Amino acid sequence: MSSLTKIPAGVQYFFDDEARLRRYVERQVMEVFAGWSYDEIILPMFDYHDLFARGMGAERAEKTYRFVDRDGALLALRPELTSLVARTVATRFIHRARPVRLCYSGEVFRYDEPTERAAREFHQLGLEHIGQAGATADIEILLVAAEALTTLGIADYRVTLSHVDFFNGVAAALDLSATDRARLRELIDRRSSYTLDEFLRERAPKVEEARRIAFCRLTQIAGKAEAIAQAREVLINERSLAAIDKLEEIYATLTALGLAEHFDIDLGDAGGLEYYTGLTFKVYVPDWGTEIGGGGRYDHLIANFGAAEPAVGFSFALDGLVGALSRRDGAGQWRATDLSQAVALDGDFVQAFRRAQELRARKSKVKIQ
Amino acid sequence: MLTIAISKGRLQDETLALFAGAGMAAEEEALSSRRLLVEAAGGRCNFIFVKPADVPTYVEYGVADAGVCGRDVLLESQADVHEPLDLRLGRCQIAVAGRHEVVGEDYNLLATVRVATKYPRITAAYFQERGIPIEVVTLSGSVELAPLLGLSDRIVDLVETGRTLRENGLEVIDVITESTARLIVNRASFHLKRAEVSALITDLAGALKLGARG
Repeated sequence: MSSLTKIPAGVQYFFDDEARLRRYVERQVMEVFAGWSYDEIILPMFDYHDLFARGMGAERAEKTYRFVDRDGALLALRPELTSLVARTVATRFIHRARPVRLCYSGEVFRYDEPTERAAREFHQLGLEHIGQAGATADIEILLVAAEALTTLGIADYRVTLSHVDFFNGVAAALDLSATDRARLRELIDRRSSYTLDEFLRERAPKVEEARRIAFCRLTQIAGKAEAIAQAREVLINERSLAAIDKLEEIYATLTALGLAEHFDIDLGDAGGLEYYTGLTFKVYVPDWGTEIGGGGRYDHLIANFGAAEPAVGFSFALDGLVGALSRRDGAGQWRATDLSQAVALDGDFVQAFRRAQELRARKSKVKIQ
Repeated sequence: MLTIAISKGRLQDETLALFAGAGMAAEEEALSSRRLLVEAAGGRCNFIFVKPADVPTYVEYGVADAGVCGRDVLLESQADVHEPLDLRLGRCQIAVAGRHEVVGEDYNLLATVRVATKYPRITAAYFQERGIPIEVVTLSGSVELAPLLGLSDRIVDLVETGRTLRENGLEVIDVITESTARLIVNRASFHLKRAEVSALITDLAGALKLGARG
């Protein structure tokens, strides 16, 4: 250790109001999860590296902190929690009734080379709903996410809904090579419609001009029912159209529940494709420049650990929730309110400590002086 | 109201002219002062003026909703932002250059080449793709001096007209990529301020078309 004040890059210490706020947010969110019958699962800080490679793919498992067990086996600090949950459900919960509802709160550790500035330790609050296909499970977890935000007093959140088959359908219809597919995805993800137009002209010359231009515009489109209508005009492949039908069904239910103002359809979201299989979503709030949560359906993951079964889940980034909340006025319920009663230690120590015990028995906060 | 980060220096005047064409003119009086935060006439947006390399940072963190910077800066920063428009301003190239003697000379694939640059990531990626071992010397300006003084074998830098290179006895060896100014948008702002962001993109695209015709 070169200096006592030096801290490894990407790790954090929390104290005072910040520590209180983090615990407050964690309790509030976990209570909402419990209210929807999600049972907490407490997971190990590390496990075999191979487990994460199976769950998230070898490429993402590269970004783990790795070390060697006494017997020589390769271990990794957990880079995410879903693989741990999925393995548990596929093995130890094999005889339990479905769906299985589990939630968790914990830190994950990732090493991301190009962004030295980013944190390498993140606290996630999340849940998994395993063993049930279809829109009802999707809608359930969206409602849980919405309630957690409302409970925290974040009323101005925005959730963008997407579906992996918007992209997969288009990429399949264009019959692209793996490299071109990756490039297409990047262009859509960055919403670079000008470059996308050039790319399609070159790599998919058979697409008529009108459709190409409309498709490029589509990547910029996100919104309510009108976004669905615009997508229907442009997308003609069956896979993408089926995805639109599914999203429309979910959107209609959310609208009937009075939540339309918080939910948008986003056709330009091409993230998490190697992992998700259906609905995907991201949560944004003012005062925080990146998404503070997200999730989706991942029907292929559990099969990596046992029998295939459908699953859907999401997680919030505690840093995002706390960061957004702490920048708001009036959200001060976690602030230190020193209501403690001072107990003086002068004179008879035994008397003083007895007085403190009596106050504690009545749940009063005490401070020995 | 949107906050827009503008690159100071090379791109600034052309960028502001384009915004003025799109109905978001910065107030002249404020511009002539040294203020770093200036409101556009009509109050549609605030401009903040920052060093080009800092624009992606401001936008990625959401301190600015949108920004204008060169593709060179964007590639180097690897910022996770939306990139909806090519503003076609400040066209230039990012190129490998060296003294006349080394042009056409093959890289010795075993010896380490020393390359001076303001773009360490772009440089490392270019040479890695070709399997050429390099040592990157990161400088913050006057990169052309490095080969003249023997600090490096080659440089990777922006080339606009090539005049600076020529005057310093250097030549372009290979063009890595083209660069123009891009409009970038924060991922959260794209959704949370969608109406304003869409209007910004549409108006700038309109101004670009007018400019292309005129």
